Amino acid sequence: MESRLLRVNLTTGDCKVETVPHAMFERWIGGSGINNWIMWEHFLTHDVNCDPRGPDNIFVFGVGPLAATGSGSGIKGRITFKSPCYGIFGDSAAGGKFPYMVRFAGFDYIAITGKAPKPVYLHLCDGDVEIRDASHLWGKNSAEAHNSLVQELGDYPSLAHTLTIGQAGENQVGIASVVSDASRIHARGGGGCVLGSKNLKAIAVQGSGGVRVQNPRGLLNWSKDFRQKIDQNEAIYGFKRRGTLGAVEMYQHIGSHFWRNNQGNMFRGDEVRSDNWVKKYHKYSEVCSADCYIACDGRYKLDGTESEKAKKYVGESFRRPEYLTTASAAGALDLRDWAEVAHWGKVTNDYGIDNQDLSTSISFIMELEQHGLLSARQKAELFDRDNQSLEWGCMEDVEELMKDMVFQRNRFGKFFHDGPYYGALRYSEFRGQNFMKYATYGKGGASFTEEMRPFPTWMNNMAVASRGADHLKGIGLIEKFQRRDLSMKYFGRLEAADLSTPVLKGACTAVVENQVALLNSYGVCLFHWMLDPGGYTPEDYYGRAFAEVTGIDRTPEELMRDGERICNLEKAFNSRLGLRREHDTICERWMFEPCPEGMYPGKVAADMFETVLDEYYEWRGWDRRTSLQTESRLKSLGMDDVADVLAADGALVRA
Amino acid sequence: MITVHAQYQSRFREITRVEKESFEIAEPSMAALATAITGKYGPAMTALLMDEDSKSLNSRGTLYLNSKGTRMYLEDGLADGETVFFMVGIAGG
Repeated sequence: MESRLLRVNLTTGDCKVETVPHAMFERWIGGSGINNWIMWEHFLTHDVNCDPRGPDNIFVFGVGPLAATGSGSGIKGRITFKSPCYGIFGDSAAGGKFPYMVRFAGFDYIAITGKAPKPVYLHLCDGDVEIRDASHLWGKNSAEAHNSLVQELGDYPSLAHTLTIGQAGENQVGIASVVSDASRIHARGGGGCVLGSKNLKAIAVQGSGGVRVQNPRGLLNWSKDFRQKIDQNEAIYGFKRRGTLGAVEMYQHIGSHFWRNNQGNMFRGDEVRSDNWVKKYHKYSEVCSADCYIACDGRYKLDGTESEKAKKYVGESFRRPEYLTTASAAGALDLRDWAEVAHWGKVTNDYGIDNQDLSTSISFIMELEQHGLLSARQKAELFDRDNQSLEWGCMEDVEELMKDMVFQRNRFGKFFHDGPYYGALRYSEFRGQNFMKYATYGKGGASFTEEMRPFPTWMNNMAVASRGADHLKGIGLIEKFQRRDLSMKYFGRLEAADLSTPVLKGACTAVVENQVALLNSYGVCLFHWMLDPGGYTPEDYYGRAFAEVTGIDRTPEELMRDGERICNLEKAFNSRLGLRREHDTICERWMFEPCPEGMYPGKVAADMFETVLDEYYEWRGWDRRTSLQTESRLKSLGMDDVADVLAADGALVRA
Repeated sequence: MITVHAQYQSRFREITRVEKESFEIAEPSMAALATAITGKYGPAMTALLMDEDSKSLNSRGTLYLNSKGTRMYLEDGLADGETVFFMVGIAGG
């Protein structure tokens, strides 16, 4: 297995292609694992404490070895960078057609440094690379920029597929996203801000190449078996119809939504409580990539008859909302009309901004208004206009505040451009009053619109995830769905599936983080794994596909160690930045305010938090007091070189 | 005989075409309720609810909770008047 890495220095205009050797796949698997290593090496020669909006930051795009091979397991491209909003490790995934077209264009990894003197875009076509003027694209939203590029680049040797940023990225809003083919979004961590800071509006790819597979017949056999498993799974049939919106009713039942800045955990709108809307207004299904056997994506088109509020959006068509788009709109902001929820998804995508941190920033301010903590004068100071209404569930108010953020129009936009934690800090300082109890966030200040308090593993995920509060790095289905079978499989005991005890919840985070790291490095979609056709074992079932593609044949135990190694590199990056145990934390609301409703009322994270965190460090082999990695554990993972760097930075425990 | 209630979401509701219903079952167990439901709704429900390989409730993308929010397994008992919720189990997005 070898692949190609394109390095682009936008300051000098230099572009060069390097071979990613087989040994790199042996050590880092691919995808996010190799992205991480490219960034790690970059910051061995550049200041890791650099301004993430400056030219020394690096932006890496990569695809894993299973992507675009025809395995059927979905494709995810991954971007990796130092996060401008949280100041720590940052990465984010998205599906779509861009990732496989990067491979067809002759590349697997793209590493971008420096800063262009004027707006540019990068054009990759069948092995050729060109930095082109993007002055005609600057100021356009992500969809307009994509459409312009598709039109001007034509259809030879293929249609163009793109990564673009919207106005949020151009204005270096910390929580700006990168949008793939105008519809799928690398939302988290501020990758769009990094591209904006480099004056890079877009990457466009066209290609007609192929992908080399070590053992094509073996992969075809695996793929056939995978297809059969999916076709025989009736639950996946339901998922094809709804996608992640299938979670809406289940979350409503157990009280796992995030309502009005998590003052509640159940939606109030009659319509948004169920996924019936999907059946009523769903126009057609589609696959997000050409390499997916599930096809959970879909499109809506509003004709104005859906609701009174839908009349504002006649003709609007976009992807069916995903769960977290719905959670941020119908939950955090209490929008109760599906047309508005769908519109929220479209405009955040067009502007290129993360709807998690945006919604929790807006809901923070709305909660201050609810509690009478904002006078008319104080609102005028914040918004540079009189009489700004801050009404829960009012889309007009939400859109105004969104524009404040995207276009950096006023203090609200500037205070909160890095999300609710830094926004609340800046606003508290501005007012000389502490409002932090109303900010919802976890590690790094990142926010997330789901209820945490009854679910100890999810709570812990929010505190320890390398990219800041996030569910995906350690997505805790063993605990949240109370899977006794998986608890027995991985721990030989049942407690990981028992919500009433902290036992094995930190262990659960550690094990699942290793699995997710593997999947992200294979370059496949996590939902194929979560729906479990192959037995929830990325180290086993998917490991066989990885072997057919790369020739790297590992035991499940060896692959789990590979996943652990990848997680440890992300941790090491954060340790170099000075992150310690005190940074593995969650907000006051989640920690101390009792869960107000739902199936598990009264729970507070503080009851289990420290116990779970201790157990997590223990399973990781890290120092409990500081959270720092130990020399012995890193050496056992073959990471002596990483340990040396951490030792030089005073970020290693000699044990 | 005991009476137990079943409440359905998403894919389950598409098959049953009702949101909730009651069953009278001779054995006070989840196994008896599963038998009653699959008997009433046929192969699509059987494929959704049962894992033929392990002869247990299908755990892949599905979730069954009692009224206390505890996941139910075939071997679990049911009390008279208990409600079991049949849901899809997916997270994130």
